[in-house]
Amino acid sequence: MTRGRAEPARICLRPPSVLAVLTVLVTTISPAAAHHVGSYVPRDNAVTTNFKQVKFSVQAQKYDVALRLFEAGPLRAEMRAHAATLPPDLEDGTRAALAAGDGREVERRLMIFFAALSRDLALEADRQIARPEASAEARVATGRKFLEAIWRYYNLVDFAVATRDNKTSVAVRLAFDEAEGYVKPANAGAAPADPAGLRKPLQRIADVLSTLIDSSSTPPSSSTPPRRNS
Amino acid sequence: MTEPDSSTWGVPPRWVLLIAVLSIVAAEVGGGAMGRFKIELTRWARDRMLAQPSVHGLVGVRDVDERILDEALVKFDAGLRLFHMHAEGMGLVIVATSMIAVTVIQHTAARRAIVTLLTVGGAGYPVGYLAWSALIPTYGVERSKTIAEWFVWVPFGTATIVALWCLAGFVAVRTIKSKS
Repeated sequence: MTRGRAEPARICLRPPSVLAVLTVLVTTISPAAAHHVGSYVPRDNAVTTNFKQVKFSVQAQKYDVALRLFEAGPLRAEMRAHAATLPPDLEDGTRAALAAGDGREVERRLMIFFAALSRDLALEADRQIARPEASAEARVATGRKFLEAIWRYYNLVDFAVATRDNKTSVAVRLAFDEAEGYVKPANAGAAPADPAGLRKPLQRIADVLSTLIDSSSTPPSSSTPPRRNS
Repeated sequence: MTEPDSSTWGVPPRWVLLIAVLSIVAAEVGGGAMGRFKIELTRWARDRMLAQPSVHGLVGVRDVDERILDEALVKFDAGLRLFHMHAEGMGLVIVATSMIAVTVIQHTAARRAIVTLLTVGGAGYPVGYLAWSALIPTYGVERSKTIAEWFVWVPFGTATIVALWCLAGFVAVRTIKSKS
């Protein structure tokens, strides 16, 4: 409210109440105390997105949709790109299984594909970590990034692996846990991350997955139940 | 700046208001440009990062590198968004807090110092987000964050925080005096 004539450089309002002033100050001090820079939530890439589309379509028994998504999607393109390291006819077999509406066979072939991707990443990680010219920190950082990529692919098919051969699933998880222990940032007093130690669990992941790919590449006969090792 | 009168709100100096308005204008222009040139900015940042694989820890395997690039691009975009948001908000904070300072603080030198710290700190702090974002493609996410922290966020943020605490102190003293 105005009281007589206001001065030119002043706004004619009621004097600031202490409560209002302190509210303004407290609300401005709090966010200024820390500069946040946001957080990153990893996203699916084109291959994992397409895998999930195909998988959910198969689970819903919409095989025509799954076939269309597979034929036009990056999953098939990736299978072609990796054909040299995959069992023969994996792509054609997956397509045939989708056309025939054989969900279990589709799952088996996709499991082989992602196991192969994970194995190839483990082999490449082992090769890069073995390079002597890189510093220990750089090799540990490389190992950490590869482990993230391996887990992103393997995690998609771990359930399918476990239902067929749970020893393999456990072996991969144990090796993965061990590898993660070598790339964790060192706490005060703890031993520094060890890139050399990381190679053994990576090699074990690659070996176990190679065995899985070999043993799973032959379709089981309809009378043979899936191998359970528990 | 006129002498404070307890019955009315004081108006901050013109240069303070000008800087606050410029901060808000920069935020709006930045926000608009971010939306208009999103693809061009992303392409530029990605090309810069691919040109310096060792800085970003790229390993030459697409399945690994895509994730690294994606994270850096998300942070690059976040820096621009945070600049837009903070510059807009700090413009208003400068106006509000300097108005309180002009109204509450009787001592001329203290008032000038606090208003200056509030204005410089408030206008400079958001620039740290712009600097962080601009440096990411060249120096990587963490190193550019460290640069922005030490050259922008810490000095300007400290200026703002110190000024706000001093201002809170002046308000408290004034309250105690008025009660006694």
